[in-house]
Parts: sequence; structure tokens; C-alpha cells
Amino acid sequence: MLNTRDLEERWLKYKIKSYIPYATIALSSIVIIIVVSIFLNSNKVEKKTTLSPEIKVEKEVQQVKIKTILTKATEAIEKTPPTKEAIQIQKTTVEEVPKTIAIVSQGNSIKRQEASLKLSPSLDFMKKMQHSSLPYYQEESAIEQESRSQIVEEVEELEIEENTDTTVVEEEPKKITIQRRDSADDIRGIIKRFKKNNNPALSLFIAKKYYELGEYHKAYNYALITNEINSDIDASWIVSTKSLVKLNQKDMAIQTLKQYIEDSHSSSAKILLDEIISGKFR
Amino acid sequence: MSSSIYINSKNVFLDTVNSKDYIQLDRVSTIYQALKDSIKKPLKMILLYGKPGTGKSMFLTKLYHDLSSSQIVHIYQTPILDESEFYKILAQDIFSTKYSGELNFTQFMKIVANSDISSIPVVLLDEAQLYSDALMEKIRLISDTRTIKFVITLHKTEKEDLIAKEHFQTRIWETIELENASNAELKIYIQKKLMKANCFDSANMFTTKSVNKIFKLTNGNYRDTNKLLYALFDIYSAYDTNHQLSSVGTTHVSNKLIEMSAIHTGLINA
Ligand SMILES: Nc1ncnc2c1ncn2[C@@H]1O[C@H](COP(=O)(O)OP(=O)(O)OP(=O)(O)O)[C@@H](O)[C@H]1O
Ligand SMILES: [Mg+2]
Repeated sequence: MLNTRDLEERWLKYKIKSYIPYATIALSSIVIIIVVSIFLNSNKVEKKTTLSPEIKVEKEVQQVKIKTILTKATEAIEKTPPTKEAIQIQKTTVEEVPKTIAIVSQGNSIKRQEASLKLSPSLDFMKKMQHSSLPYYQEESAIEQESRSQIVEEVEELEIEENTDTTVVEEEPKKITIQRRDSADDIRGIIKRFKKNNNPALSLFIAKKYYELGEYHKAYNYALITNEINSDIDASWIVSTKSLVKLNQKDMAIQTLKQYIEDSHSSSAKILLDEIISGKFR
Repeated sequence: MSSSIYINSKNVFLDTVNSKDYIQLDRVSTIYQALKDSIKKPLKMILLYGKPGTGKSMFLTKLYHDLSSSQIVHIYQTPILDESEFYKILAQDIFSTKYSGELNFTQFMKIVANSDISSIPVVLLDEAQLYSDALMEKIRLISDTRTIKFVITLHKTEKEDLIAKEHFQTRIWETIELENASNAELKIYIQKKLMKANCFDSANMFTTKSVNKIFKLTNGNYRDTNKLLYALFDIYSAYDTNHQLSSVGTTHVSNKLIEMSAIHTGLINA
């Protein structure tokens, strides 16, 4: 009869031998996972530390938001004094506008928001602010005082509905008017307002707006001004270094960013630094 | 299961060539049909080749068995290496002419020429790689007379390539290659083989998964598969007598035992 005992022993040895490569692969992947998780954890801690200044900014921005919303409303009043009617008129014009346009433009703005989200969380709400306030800055605050109490209600409504489908339609005519207006006009209005109250959120907004328009010198200047007022705003440092890169001052951009990272440990700044160094951001 | 079933199953995989054990496999049966057809063509000689253990001898034996009822057919499973001996045996078997002394090619050709056999006899030569080149050339010349039809099998070895060049790549040769079984064919082969011997329970143990495992080890070679399964059932019957069967189960073939058999037969180096 067959000596199964001996055969079993040989089989066991064979099995152990054949598992060696798998075991090494498993072991090394475990090591990699541990290293990666440690690395990720350390990143999280950094994020938490950078969050606190942002919260401050957020408050300021919210204040600005309310103000801009007010101007938004007053603008409507100025053009067609009874506000309710104005909105109704806008609604009817919207129905004539092909719906696809509304959807496309909304989709674009969402995409942009997402992209900026990845870069840095603080940029996200700055963008939001941009959307809601952009077209309405050109009017001066003189009108603002006229009928504040009346307008506030409507403003609140508008704000809540901003992200729902129905408001897409409502907002559409306003967006069309934005495109017709000169962006420089918008900025000028905000500059005036900024000169009055020196709010860093406004100067940051201006910097970003100039950056978007490709006027990198002005963008850089306004970002610098913002940094002087409040040196803890990630987004402002990011705009200033991005502008530097666009102005072919890559080395200076890297230096500035490194200095800022040393002080703030900002992860969005780190990401940008990596992108600049690797040439991904040009 | 009683222990005898494992012993019966084991014996199914003894490496023997017997036409009654022949298993009809789709690919093989089409080749078989082609072969039977070409036997009717007078001029052609048929060369059956393939790697060792692909079933050439089995094929030839089956052919012999099937043809013998309808025509004159002779099979030579072990080669007759001496030339004179070769002619003498053929003269006796085909033409019933007994020769006591030496018989050379010219004398044999005379016998062939004087043949009064109405139908062409078929001669099946297995293991033809063992014949000398000179004798192979004579066989071709005999074949040219159209009085004897030859079916020849040979191993596909490096040496065989040379033989193939010299002898078989002329128009008179019809060559047929036999190959290893595919995954699916191997499963049919194993199961049919066991069922022929009434080992139904054993046949059911071979799931697609375990056949795949066997295929990986034997590459579908019939002889290697036979060896492996012989060892496998040997181990099963040993486990049975040692009351160890519960540790490996009997519903399907244990991978462990397949690997043990592979180690035992040398398919796995351990
Ligand atoms: N169609 C088949 N049916 C049943 N058994 C088969 C079949 N084909 C092959 N076998 C089995 O496989 C084994 C090997 O086959 P065989 O001896 O015919 O190979 P071979 O090609 O002649 O090898 P070699 O070149 O070494 O002579 C045999 O024991 C035979 O039982
Ligand atoms: Mg053979």
C-alpha cells in the first residue's frame, strides 16, 4: 500500500514553499497600508489646524454676503420699483429662454465649485459668494438704505432656493445680464466698497476676479493687500502665488508658498506647491 | 463508498491500450472519420503523429478493431526492426507465404507484384519513429505499388522532425496530428472512463474545478492524466483503509490529494 504519511509530509513542504511568495506579497502590502494610513492621519491633523482661520473668514464673508444680497435686491428695486412685479417679469422672460442654457450654465458653475473644492475648502465658499454677489456690486450703497426692511424677506428666500432647480430658472435672466455687462464694471464697484471698509474678503474677491480675467498683476496686488490685512487666508496666498507663476515668477512663487506652508501648514497650499514644482500648474 | 470502488477506479487509469476502452471524444472522432475516409484513397499513406501520450496507439488500436470486420487489416504495435524480418512477417501475414531463409526487398516486391488479393490490405504500424530511415523508404516504395496501404504513427520528437522532412512531406503522405485534450475534453474523458467501469460515484467527484486543477498539472495529456488519477485513487483507497476519508471528504476530489498524487507521480517537484 501507498505510504501516504510520507506523501503528506512532502505535500506540506510543497504547500509551505508555494505560499512563500503570497506571504511576502501580503506582508509587504500590509506594511504599505500601515505606512499610508499613518501618512494620511498626519495630513488630517494638519487640516484641522488650518481650519480655524477659515472659520473667521467665513464669518466675515457671511457678513459680506448679506450686504451683497441687500444690494442685489435694491438693484431690482431701482429698475422696477415694485419688487414683486420685477420678479414676475423676470420669470416670464425666463420661459422664453431655452432651458438647456440654464442647465448648462448651472452645471458649469457646479463643476467649477467642485474643482475648487478639491484644491482647498476655503475657496469653495468664496466661489459661492462670487456667484451670488457678482453682478450686483456696481450699485452704490446709497440706495441700499432706502428700503432695507422690505427687501430682507425676499433676499432670504432667494438665498435658500439658490441651489434648487426652480431657482435655476429664476436666476437665469440675471445671469444673462451679467454676461452683457462689463466684468471690469463689477470689479470697480467692489473696489469702491473695499476702499470704504477694507474688508479682506472683498479684496480677495477682487484678486480672484482679476485672476479669472487674466489680469495677473492686479490679481497679485490685491492678493498682497488681502494678505496684509489678514495673513491667514489660504485662498489669498494661493491667488497671489498662482498669479506669480502666471507672471513667470515661478521661483518667487515657490519661495512664498514654502514660507507660508511653514507658518500655516496649509494642505491646499502644499498641494499647489506640488503642482507648481511638478509643472502641473503652469 | 466501499474500498473496492477506489480500487476499481484506480484500475480504470492503468496505462493500457485496449480498443474496448476507447472513449469517443468529439475532436478525436472527426479525425477518426477523416482517417477512415482516407484509407479508401489508394495512393495515400497516412501518418498519425503527436506528442507521447496523446492517444496515437489507442487510435490505431481502435482503427484496427473497427476495420477488421470489413477488410484485411494487420497491426504491428511493436516495430519489427530487422528489415528481412519485417518483409517475412508481412509476406506471411498478408500473402500467407512462409519464408525460412532471408527475404530481401526485391524478393518481397516480387511477392507483392504477384499478389492476387482483390482488396487492398491495410497495415498499421505503431511507433514508427523506431524504424530506420532505409526501411521507411522501402515502406514508401511498397506503398507506391498500391498493393498495401500503410497507416503509421510516430512520436513527435526533435528527431521526428527530421524524419518528417525526409519521408513524410511528400504528396503521398496524409498527415494527421493528435493533440492533448482541452479542459472540457479532459472532463469528458475522465468521467466517461469511470462510468464505463460503473464507477459512477467516482465520476461525480470530478467537478469542473477539480478537472481544471488536473488540467493544470497534466496539460491535458492522456497518459499523464492516467498516471495522476491512478495515484489519486491509490491514495483514496489508502485513506479509506486508514479511516482518514472524513478529513478529505468524498463529494468531490480533494485538491490536497490531487497535489499529493502529482508529487507522487513527479508532476510536481517536491
Ligand atoms: N480516446 C481515448 N479513449 C480512451 N483512452 C485513451 C484515449 N486516448 C488516449 N487514451 C489513454 O491514454 C493513454 C495514452 O495513450 P496512447 O498510449 O495511445 O498514447 P500514444 O500517443 O500512443 O503515446 P506514445 O507516443 O508514447 O506511444 C492510454 O493508456 C490510453 O488508455
Ligand atoms: Mg503509442
